Amino acid sequence: MILTRKIVVRLVAIGLLAVILQLSFFSQVAVFHTSPDILPAVVVSLGLLGGTMTGAVSGFALGFLLDCLLVQPLGGGSLVLLAVGYLAGMFRERFEIHSPLVPPLLCMVLTLFAELGFGALALMLGVDSAVSTLVIRDLLIKSIFAFFLGWPIYLGLRRLLRPALVEEPIVRPRSGRRPSVLGA
Amino acid sequence: MYRKQVRRRRAVLALLVVGSFALLTITYGQGSNGVQRGVSTIFSPVQSVADRALKPARDLINWFDKTFDARGKESRLQSELEVARKQAVGVKAALAENAQLRKLVQLDRGGAIPGGYQPVTGRVIARSPTIWFADVTVDVGSGDGVKLNDPVINGDGLIGTVSAVTPGSSQVALIADNSSAVSAKVVPVGVQGVVKPNVGDPGDLILDFIDSAKHVHRGQVVVTAGWRGQGIDSRFPPNIPIGEISRASLEEQEAQQQVHVRPYADLRELDLIQVLTGGWRG
Repeated sequence: MILTRKIVVRLVAIGLLAVILQLSFFSQVAVFHTSPDILPAVVVSLGLLGGTMTGAVSGFALGFLLDCLLVQPLGGGSLVLLAVGYLAGMFRERFEIHSPLVPPLLCMVLTLFAELGFGALALMLGVDSAVSTLVIRDLLIKSIFAFFLGWPIYLGLRRLLRPALVEEPIVRPRSGRRPSVLGA
Repeated sequence: MYRKQVRRRRAVLALLVVGSFALLTITYGQGSNGVQRGVSTIFSPVQSVADRALKPARDLINWFDKTFDARGKESRLQSELEVARKQAVGVKAALAENAQLRKLVQLDRGGAIPGGYQPVTGRVIARSPTIWFADVTVDVGSGDGVKLNDPVINGDGLIGTVSAVTPGSSQVALIADNSSAVSAKVVPVGVQGVVKPNVGDPGDLILDFIDSAKHVHRGQVVVTAGWRGQGIDSRFPPNIPIGEISRASLEEQEAQQQVHVRPYADLRELDLIQVLTGGWRG
């Protein structure tokens, strides 16, 4: 990703909008008793579009803002979303995305990873209460929501950040092909 | 050149990871700090506007969820209504007796909110996205008289306590949050215990540490105990409804000294709340 001042402003605006939408809308909407979490999907999309550094930095920033607004111990959200962004970026750098199913699938898997990460962090910081088995249901439903929300989020962000994206040649010599996932 | 780039990337990544751990270590257990107060102060008006603007869309989606839910609840509610009708007769008699007793001991405070407390009405403007923390942000803060640890209620009963305050907003740790513990009693039997969350299921709380010799039953009401001792008091005023016993097996009561409580307040869908400011506190 080519980072100009305009693109950085867009990235900041995307981050702010995502956090505010999450806290004021998605967290307060219940479908099948579970609220969607779009932040991991946003970070995954940024990682897929910009690579490891963009993913990691945007994950850290979104997590930091989230922790600030929720008055939670700072650093927890940053650590989890940083890992999510970095993993998405690493995927982009290692594999080619041939199938349109890859971004939503990755959003689904990494949202599950993020929720497990938040859970692990909460347990490490000392949850002194019983944990309901309904947590598993909520985790799975959140991941499914991420699958369906991941695709429009990815497309929207790709459109917004198009001027900064490094276009890769469509046809490559056979010998130079990189491994791909879910595609020929 | 490539190696330099890789080295720089690794350095940034290491810096971010170390930064996260450092922030976590420094700020853990401190409540709110200056950075969080500043960010909350800047963002709470924006969140408030976004909350109001997005309310119609949110209500629409929640309406679909409630419609699906209502179909399953209809039959259960009908059977509960029959039980409630029978109980209402007994409650009326108890209320009359209670009014007389209150007059006798001059405890009549004339409402559900205990005397000395000033309710400040607010609206939920944000909510934690993860299932591990049950926190909400409300649009009233220290500027409205809200203080740390103030109890928070809604029309149905207790919902939590204020866990952090900024001038324009407050953070409320719900009774379903993993940090919550509320001293409570079962009425009319008077069994006391601590209401703790069952993380991940805000519709199921646990009344823990109860006296296993006294048995409680399904349907009995759980209210705040609101005890006062010498130099140490409960954070909650007495007799605020929390919920009712939903499961109370003898095995669980005797072996684990706990029963399950269904909160009156729907902790998944909160809108208007009241912070009880003033009053006595520990």
